[in-house]
Amino acid sequence: MEKERKSMNSSLLSEMSRRSFVKLLTAGGAAAMLHGGLLTPKAFAGPAKTAGGCKAFHSACQRNCYDTCAMLSYVDDGVLKYVEGDKQSTFTNGGLCVKGYSYPRRVYSPDRIKYPMKQIGRGTGNWKRISWEEAIDSICDKILSIKKEDGHLLGLALDKNSGSEGITNCAVIQGLFTGLGYTTRFEGSNCWPAGYDAQYFDFGDMVCNDPEDLANAGYIILWGVNPAWTSIHTMKFIYAAKERGAKVVCIDPVLTQTAAKCDEYLAPKMGTDGALALGMARHILDLGLADRGWVADNALGFPEFEQYLREKVTVQWAAEETGIPAETIARIAEEFAKAKPATAWIGYGLQRHTNGGRAVRSIDALVAMTGNVGKKGGGARYGQEFTWDFEYWPKSKMSPPAGSIGFVNPAKQKPGEPTVYSNRSLNRNQAAREMRKADPKIRMLWVSCSNPMSQYPNRNEMEKMYRGLDMLVVVDQFFTQTAELADIVLPTTTQFEEWQVNVSYWHYWLAINEQCIEPLFEAKPNTVISALVSKRMNELSPGSCTYQQDLTPKECMIRNFNDTIHKLNGISSWEDLLKGPVKAKRNPVSWAEGKFKTPSGKYEFLSAKAAEYGHPALPEYHSRRPNHDKFVILTPHTKFGLHSQFINLDWMRDFNPEPCVYINPNSARSKNIVSGDMVRVYNKFGEVAVKAQVTDNVPEDTLLMYEAWFKNDKFNVQNVLDDAVADMGAYQFGGHRGPAIQEQFANVEKM
Amino acid sequence: MQESQHEAQTLASLRDFFIAQDGAELEAAVGRLPEDLKSAVPAVPDWDAAEFDFNRFFVGPRILAAPPYASVYLSPEPQVMGEAALEARRIYAALGLQSPFDARLPDDHLSLELDALRIMQGGLSHTPSEPLKELRDCFVHEHLNVWVPLFARRVRMVAPEHTIIRFMADAVERCVESVAESKGRF
Repeated sequence: MEKERKSMNSSLLSEMSRRSFVKLLTAGGAAAMLHGGLLTPKAFAGPAKTAGGCKAFHSACQRNCYDTCAMLSYVDDGVLKYVEGDKQSTFTNGGLCVKGYSYPRRVYSPDRIKYPMKQIGRGTGNWKRISWEEAIDSICDKILSIKKEDGHLLGLALDKNSGSEGITNCAVIQGLFTGLGYTTRFEGSNCWPAGYDAQYFDFGDMVCNDPEDLANAGYIILWGVNPAWTSIHTMKFIYAAKERGAKVVCIDPVLTQTAAKCDEYLAPKMGTDGALALGMARHILDLGLADRGWVADNALGFPEFEQYLREKVTVQWAAEETGIPAETIARIAEEFAKAKPATAWIGYGLQRHTNGGRAVRSIDALVAMTGNVGKKGGGARYGQEFTWDFEYWPKSKMSPPAGSIGFVNPAKQKPGEPTVYSNRSLNRNQAAREMRKADPKIRMLWVSCSNPMSQYPNRNEMEKMYRGLDMLVVVDQFFTQTAELADIVLPTTTQFEEWQVNVSYWHYWLAINEQCIEPLFEAKPNTVISALVSKRMNELSPGSCTYQQDLTPKECMIRNFNDTIHKLNGISSWEDLLKGPVKAKRNPVSWAEGKFKTPSGKYEFLSAKAAEYGHPALPEYHSRRPNHDKFVILTPHTKFGLHSQFINLDWMRDFNPEPCVYINPNSARSKNIVSGDMVRVYNKFGEVAVKAQVTDNVPEDTLLMYEAWFKNDKFNVQNVLDDAVADMGAYQFGGHRGPAIQEQFANVEKM
Repeated sequence: MQESQHEAQTLASLRDFFIAQDGAELEAAVGRLPEDLKSAVPAVPDWDAAEFDFNRFFVGPRILAAPPYASVYLSPEPQVMGEAALEARRIYAALGLQSPFDARLPDDHLSLELDALRIMQGGLSHTPSEPLKELRDCFVHEHLNVWVPLFARRVRMVAPEHTIIRFMADAVERCVESVAESKGRF
């Protein structure tokens, strides 16, 4: 019938267009039918098909993902038809991941937030549609009333996170808030702070070799990373190395799909990665395989590290700590040291521990002492922000309105000197705790590019805090568990409906994102929303906001380019990117010159900076957090989602229809649980009801639940996660340590 | 002629109902129903509460219980701006008409389609036109009368708290079905 209908319509449409129905209506005296209706007359311009079929636009995936794919988006009739990876990027090479291919479903999901809406009673589900004007008025009225009542805006808080990594999104909302005055910001990172600091202590910066250079490695350790799920494009470079004879070892407590594709798989006990690295280092010392030449020329503190290893570390000790046989540790260590070049890719999971930063420093040390730093095919790879030197306009240029009162940091305020005001910064990894103790209290919260209720620990406490707000504004594309608690939700655009520019924290490509379709419904980009707020603030109270009042997303994107970006990428203008993505013009090997950014200018086994921040100067081992319940719970990324994004789409639900807890057969047996049983995972912080899947892929002491937000499902792993923080992160993240979300504990029982 | 006026009034009322932005507009749209239909309208004690229910079904921000877009029902998998939306756009264009919302509202929104049907019916009642009649029949039989019953069934299945929602969904199903059955009328 579909085919029949199309063909019939084609001839009929053609016939009608020749006759011009509006003329017919007028001639027949029925023109009144047009008045008061919705449809309006137009000059018939022929079928609205794009000449030559689909038109291709350059796009960039903006989710918080290693791969940050350069894409091509194909549009016909003003509709996004399909997307593919851009072959001009040798990283993407024409492919996308499952999530990337689902983008048209995301754009055209019936579930998108369509209009500004106001909830009558927080969490009641009673929503009224309002105009943008009414929404902005309500927001501005509230901001002004807080300012009037409190005399400052520290009661106004912003939680802008990494749900949309377009460069303007990294800048505009913070710019608006600075333009309003000194406010409260949720800061820090849920992702990588402990490992990030560790690399800063060791190298003085966090820069990795080009991931495409993995193909040159002779030995690869994938340490706590699962690229078969989380960075599929990097897998081809790992396979290329294997084809050239490299050995690939996966170290992970869970038998992941990556582990299944490797030559060897090691499963250390949870949180003992540092012990494993140090045990390997000791064995390399014992065999005389340390690269003493490289260390002598390029490193500081190796003698002290060697002394520590000889006094405190043995392979047998490492075996007892990790549960991996001593002979295996010794063999892997020897293989790694002898393979030239060898590299370790350090994932973000293993540093989400109370000893996570130290674990990363230990792995860095292992790579460095074998002379694999600064080598083609080598390196201790973690991530990079080398390509991120954009203007971050207008955030970078904003000042609060004259006379604004803000937070006074006692550590920075010198007696007798003029008061120095700043924003108040709270750690998002302890958001509930920080909100509870905040004085002055947080009265209004704006959430954008973020779903804290599905991402932050201690969710039950979070909800209590959110319910105590005067106003919660949520800007999103979908109705998340955070939006459920909002007073006002504002619909925002997908990347296909706005201009953006993107870089990765892993590879070195730069890609532009052209607007290729009109925004659906009443969605607006964050750039426009911010400008609307600023404009209305100034109408209501002149001079109350210094942010731009008239700004297009494209102008904003253009102003984020600068000479540094041009030079680095070999472009003269942003317009060069309309021809395709470009790769940074740099040595693909980081630290090849042996010049490090540490205080000594050398690789630092012994870091005074680490000691300054309260850590051992050496990468010493520290035992993990003691269990406070029967099982360790792991909550890593799922294959079909990115944090709480994508998994709500129907295409993903076809493959991954419901959340599960994965439990080892021996543990399941002891709890009388079989696959398919509904179970309760619980601890002193909360509980989740979830279906059990019994599998050998997880260790006996472990329960695994993938983090996600499922459509129409209350499941939320954050219910059973507390807000313990990692050892490191305070150095580079404004005093905010990273989360220890892979070091959590709970029990389970059949329901 | 009276029959066509009744039909036009019904279509206009239904159109205005399903695109209403608040309780007052819902109430006003129901108030424009022909008298015989209006007399059957269930009592609505609180139009604000009805508006919450209406938004739960058709507007958001939560996942819609019954999205009012043809594509959701006619596409192989539910989505908006599918082929059905483009088909509706082409039909409007062939009539010399267009949606005032451009691409911001999918062209196959129920209210736009009801408006198109109302205008086509009006034209045919004044001026017989064989191509228009064929197009109308095609639009009704192979488009509207395929998805609107599915839409109305979805509303009934999810069971709105306020009976006015179900009443109007049933009404739109009956109205489309009635036009389909009166194929030879104009």
